Amino acid sequence: MISYTKEGAKKNALVFILFIAPAFILFTLFVVTPVFQGAYYSLFNWKGAGPLDKEKFLGLDNFIKLFHDKYFLTAISNNIKIVIYSLCFQLPVAFIFALLIGRKSFTGSILFRSLYFFPYVLTEIIGGVIWKFIYNPQFGLLTQFSKFFTDAKNEIALLGNPDTAFGAIFLVIFWKYIGFHMILYIAGLQGVPRELEDAAVIDGANGMQVIWNVILPSMRNVITISVFLSVIGSFNVFDIVWAMGQGGPVHSTETLVTYLYNFGYKRFAFGYGSAVAIVIFFVCLVFNLLYQKFIVGDKDK
Amino acid sequence: MKSKKIKHLFRVIFSAVTAFLMFFPILTVIMGGFKEKGQIFSDPFGIPRPPTIETFVEILGSASSYWVLLFNSIFITGATISIVIIFGMLAGVGLSRIKVPGQQLVYNYFLLGLLFPLTVAILPLFLQLRSLGLIGSRFGVILIEAAFNLPLSIFILTGFFKNIPNELQDACYIDGGTIFIFFRKILIPLSTPVISTVTIIVFVASWNQFMLPLLVLSDTKLYTIPLGVMQYQGQYASGWNQIMAFITLSMLPIAIFYFILQKYVVEGLTSGAIKG
Repeated sequence: MISYTKEGAKKNALVFILFIAPAFILFTLFVVTPVFQGAYYSLFNWKGAGPLDKEKFLGLDNFIKLFHDKYFLTAISNNIKIVIYSLCFQLPVAFIFALLIGRKSFTGSILFRSLYFFPYVLTEIIGGVIWKFIYNPQFGLLTQFSKFFTDAKNEIALLGNPDTAFGAIFLVIFWKYIGFHMILYIAGLQGVPRELEDAAVIDGANGMQVIWNVILPSMRNVITISVFLSVIGSFNVFDIVWAMGQGGPVHSTETLVTYLYNFGYKRFAFGYGSAVAIVIFFVCLVFNLLYQKFIVGDKDK
Repeated sequence: MKSKKIKHLFRVIFSAVTAFLMFFPILTVIMGGFKEKGQIFSDPFGIPRPPTIETFVEILGSASSYWVLLFNSIFITGATISIVIIFGMLAGVGLSRIKVPGQQLVYNYFLLGLLFPLTVAILPLFLQLRSLGLIGSRFGVILIEAAFNLPLSIFILTGFFKNIPNELQDACYIDGGTIFIFFRKILIPLSTPVISTVTIIVFVASWNQFMLPLLVLSDTKLYTIPLGVMQYQGQYASGWNQIMAFITLSMLPIAIFYFILQKYVVEGLTSGAIKG
């Protein structure tokens, strides 16, 4: 870039600071500082008031306590389950949907697409409450079905049962975000060179082979992003779980963030809660670094 | 030829069925609001017979919190968007159109923010707001939401400004302009598409934000729509027709926003992701 002002670098620097300052101050104050503060608090047994003195210093005890807490382990394994279920079910289904409906437009295809995407835009809390109605044990969809097809009169309480509550909540997560991934894939499909596909078909490749050898490799960028967002998002799930049962029954649907809220904020255990936050941050950071190194970096080869 | 037609038909039917399944929960809610209390229990997923608008009238009447929630959500989201756009554009110009050493460093510093989800910082933020006297204030929510939306917005805006040809800036300077005039007279008018992308991203994020106002706002008079829905469904735990009507009205603003601007919304949200 050429230098635009004759007044020289000094004035440029001043103007630069003027332009940057508002965003810089807000960002430093409310985004960067709290993360470091959290890291510091996590070393203390602190209720959020009074001085942080030596007596309250715990070192890494909060973290040790965390990994000995059974509900924390439930929370972290729930987050890992969300990651695995999303990668194994949600994203492949989104991809199949994209293949089936995203390639050719037909009457109504635009409307259909906007209906798929709508849950993504919808407020998480509202989505959660809607599904609470659908799962209602007295008159919910499953109870209706079981009454219709069998003579059984028993109510099916998916959300009230610790064995099924988490699966029921995952279905809502599946519903809420699948449209987003599908639209990403539809965008990615536009970039697949048609000639390559035709050439593969002429060479005798069947449908699966075309998908595996032509379409998937050309969509690598979009899939990389979709997986990344899905994993990071899975570790930060809060609203839907909160709306459907606040981590209950008996903490069976706790995730890292609901755990942070229930065991940190609610009990004014700011040191302990901050340790949870640091775990979330650390998991996302490590994933990000490994992902950049092995997956994103790899494509340059 | 025949197999192609069958394929096409299959595609249409498949799309229609899945679209219906995806939209079914929302349809259930909308219909639920029009049902009488008896029918919501006896026939929760059917068509309202007879449809009644009584519940809606009741909620829109003065006794309910609906209008207060709507106002608060509009106020907080509007203010958040304004701050992000103004601060973000200024920073974007600084990072792309002014030549200074260390620019890249500042840019990377902002991008660092993409790694910090709000949830990670929430407890220290609570304490920080408390010491600033901003607990229980809408401005506390606005400032934090704006701060957390800055990184992606700055990233998108800077990328856009970088692609504006230098010749335009040179021409402006030759005519005696400064960076301020260039910003006001040339960059802002050129930026409509990127401003709308950022607006959409920030709108959806801020409108749906739940955890932050949950911690910051305790007075129900300041509640936003997500908080209000959560509270309402707790209060009217057995009046599902009321909850349904309330939810229907609560999702109306974002539904209108989405269905009117859907092309831009879908593009904005996915392009934001792809670029981020």
